[in-house]
Amino acid sequence: MLIDEAVRFLSQVPPFQFLEGPLLRELAQSLTMAFHPKGEVILHQDGPVSEHLQIILKGGVKITLRPEGGGEEVVVDYRERGETFGLVSLMGGHQRTTIVAVQDTTAYLLPKARFSELVHSHPAITEYLLQFHLTKYADMTSREIQGKSVFLESSDHLLFTAQVGEICQQFTTVVEADTSIRQTARRMVEERQSAALVVGPSGEPIGILTDSDFRARVVAEGQPIDGPVSRVMSHPVVSVDEKDPCFEVILKMLQCDIDHVAVTREGAIRGVVTNHDFLVLQGRSPLAFSEDIEHQTTLEGLAPVSRKALSIIGVLLREGARATNIIRIISELNDRVVRKVLEFAERECGPPPVPYCWLALGSEGRKEQTFRTDQDNALIYADVSEVQRTRVAEYFRRFTVYLRNGLVQCGFEACPANYMASNPDWCQPISAWKRYFSTWISEPTPEAVLKSLIFFDFRPLHGDEALAWELREHFGRLIPDYPAFLGFLANMLVRNRPPLGFFGSVAVERSGEHKDGLNLKIKAVAPLVDIARLFALEKGLQQVSTMDRLEALRGGTSLIAELVDELAYAFEFVTLLRVHHQYRQLEAGQPIDNFIHLDGLSNLERQSLKKAFRLILKIQDRVMDRYKSFII
Amino acid sequence: MGLRAWTRAKLGMGASGADLPIQELRFTVLDTELTGLDERRDDIISIGALHMQGSRIELGNTFQELVKPGAILDGRTVVIHGITPSELEARPPIEEVLASFTEYAEGTVLVGHCLSLDLGFLNRDARRFRRAPFRNAAVDTLSLYGWLRRRSSDHPAFTLDLPAPSLFDLAAAFEIPVEASHSAIGDAYVTAQLFQRFLPLLQQAGVGTLAGLRRVGNPRRQLANLAASDGHTHF
Repeated sequence: MLIDEAVRFLSQVPPFQFLEGPLLRELAQSLTMAFHPKGEVILHQDGPVSEHLQIILKGGVKITLRPEGGGEEVVVDYRERGETFGLVSLMGGHQRTTIVAVQDTTAYLLPKARFSELVHSHPAITEYLLQFHLTKYADMTSREIQGKSVFLESSDHLLFTAQVGEICQQFTTVVEADTSIRQTARRMVEERQSAALVVGPSGEPIGILTDSDFRARVVAEGQPIDGPVSRVMSHPVVSVDEKDPCFEVILKMLQCDIDHVAVTREGAIRGVVTNHDFLVLQGRSPLAFSEDIEHQTTLEGLAPVSRKALSIIGVLLREGARATNIIRIISELNDRVVRKVLEFAERECGPPPVPYCWLALGSEGRKEQTFRTDQDNALIYADVSEVQRTRVAEYFRRFTVYLRNGLVQCGFEACPANYMASNPDWCQPISAWKRYFSTWISEPTPEAVLKSLIFFDFRPLHGDEALAWELREHFGRLIPDYPAFLGFLANMLVRNRPPLGFFGSVAVERSGEHKDGLNLKIKAVAPLVDIARLFALEKGLQQVSTMDRLEALRGGTSLIAELVDELAYAFEFVTLLRVHHQYRQLEAGQPIDNFIHLDGLSNLERQSLKKAFRLILKIQDRVMDRYKSFII
Repeated sequence: MGLRAWTRAKLGMGASGADLPIQELRFTVLDTELTGLDERRDDIISIGALHMQGSRIELGNTFQELVKPGAILDGRTVVIHGITPSELEARPPIEEVLASFTEYAEGTVLVGHCLSLDLGFLNRDARRFRRAPFRNAAVDTLSLYGWLRRRSSDHPAFTLDLPAPSLFDLAAAFEIPVEASHSAIGDAYVTAQLFQRFLPLLQQAGVGTLAGLRRVGNPRRQLANLAASDGHTHF
């Protein structure tokens, strides 16, 4: 009975939950249970070392450190139910901190000898407990989140667990480039294939012909059916490996705007997979939404499709997609809606008088929107002569107002801070934009830097991208000359300290600053985004997405080069938490917010969040050191 | 017989036993289930016990034995214990269980809630089978509670307005989780956790050795302790 209770508890507590049942049961036999009344000093700094690893069953402890050479005692950490203490002195032979019970606390004690055995038989346990690495446990964490979510029924995880090789059709229809269209069509009908592979003289694949190519090119364009198939095939062939997860293939198809890809095995083409295959598999795939969007010719038709697209998030979560992939898909779909509205606007207002570039800003620019947030956009147009100026400005005024209203109709709320192209300030010729950035960088003030951050994460979404790159180059050249600008970014970054106290006693939560829960966006997402931005700008990188920025910083010379894996995992994790939280609210018809409560988190989630906070703290300390002359 | 030798005989342990600090003591926390409360007619139907080393409860190495009773269970007790007569048939007789329990408890201090009741039955059966009665030192958690109630007024659990609180009243007051289905081992576990909460309070009140523990936790003192505390709390 006592053992059952302990096993039940430990099977929910990392890292013990990763041990097999019989081992856990055997481990429980060696446990003792201790009671520490509130206020008890369990371990003294520089006192006797711990003889046990203590696993908290109820209550909580505070860990404090008295700096060497005197000074005030500082709180290093709080530990609570499901967490452990005593490990460092158990392994290191020196008690470096003082540990006090902040509530009446009961703990299971694992004796040193038994712990040592465990360390030898399961090195992963120590590794976990030492909390050096975040990434190793990423999969377990996301698996656990998926397992417990109330809204995830026992649906198949095909889209994300299946490899594309499992669902692709083998090519049976292979034709040569000079085969006639008629001949090819006949063979496809006879062999009941929806696609044919077109090969060159030496059998190398040069194109694919699908049913939809027939509709779009042969029928719609009235191509003579006695012409060679090479005239209507899709080429070049976009191929994926048969081991790629279906999800990645879908993303690739979205990005390349194609409805089929060739599937290869060890480089050789083996089959084809089409959007239709995913539809059959899925019922509703992101590709289907993208097609729906593409087919719309009016704003009235687009609006309901766009609003419905949010339901794809449920499918993706059910499928166990990684959070960073989910937000990428959301961005892809949102981009399509925006491009469609731009297309309608050009039709409505007539062709633009000069080239322009539509910019997505902030989270939309970084492709990190969770649920549809408000519009954050801007427009750059080519410089015009004095005479033209008024006419061009008037055109883009009408154009951007159409955009703002059209996007509102499609479910993107207007930006309350008016960071929209429809605001004349943010719809300017390139020379004006360059002046903006020059001012932000060369004469930074805290407010100006804070306000301008959203613009540093811009991404060209439509139109003449050269304008966007010109602007990026412009400010990229300026930044090294004005160190105070990065100093301001650093300053802002270190001021948003992670709330480790969030994990402290329940009492703190009930009355303190976290009584409404933790603002995940401000306290967890924003610092990680800010870290990636600071170092990307410092190194003059072109990337905009947080993940892309981190990837580009890997192995470089920045202060965070060796922490890239941990940062990427932390970002993945907090994004997933946020997407889940908001999706749950969406499903329940509640307003969407960023406040999460400790109660709703599993032990593993809490620990992952805590690790993310510790990582942010660590980087903040490094930033503070590097930019000390700018830190106010 | 001198005082020292007398103490030694009563404790059933070494001469220095009385001075041993509590952390060095080994305890057997026990609970028995009975067919009724009448020592002349009723029987032990199960014994559950566990060890504590100082203030730490050992999860492994527990003692759980069900006993074949001499008398037939009546319907009332069946309801309380959830045990049916046919379940009892396959069990070992009391003399075997008593022998293994004696071995389990050897050299330890016995702890129980209203321990004199359990000890009464255990010693009656020991006599019946010509075994020596239990000579272990014994501590009663109800006696400890009564004694502490007279001293520790600041802990909310001591304002409990009951003349003789049951194990479960105290478990609730000290926030100790209790399982719905009662068993001897389950109740012994609750008793152990209660005892665990008392130990730091006793330490604060200057009770830190076996002698002190025996003095304030004497199973025969429970009524006296409680009566005194009743007067104190204006019951």
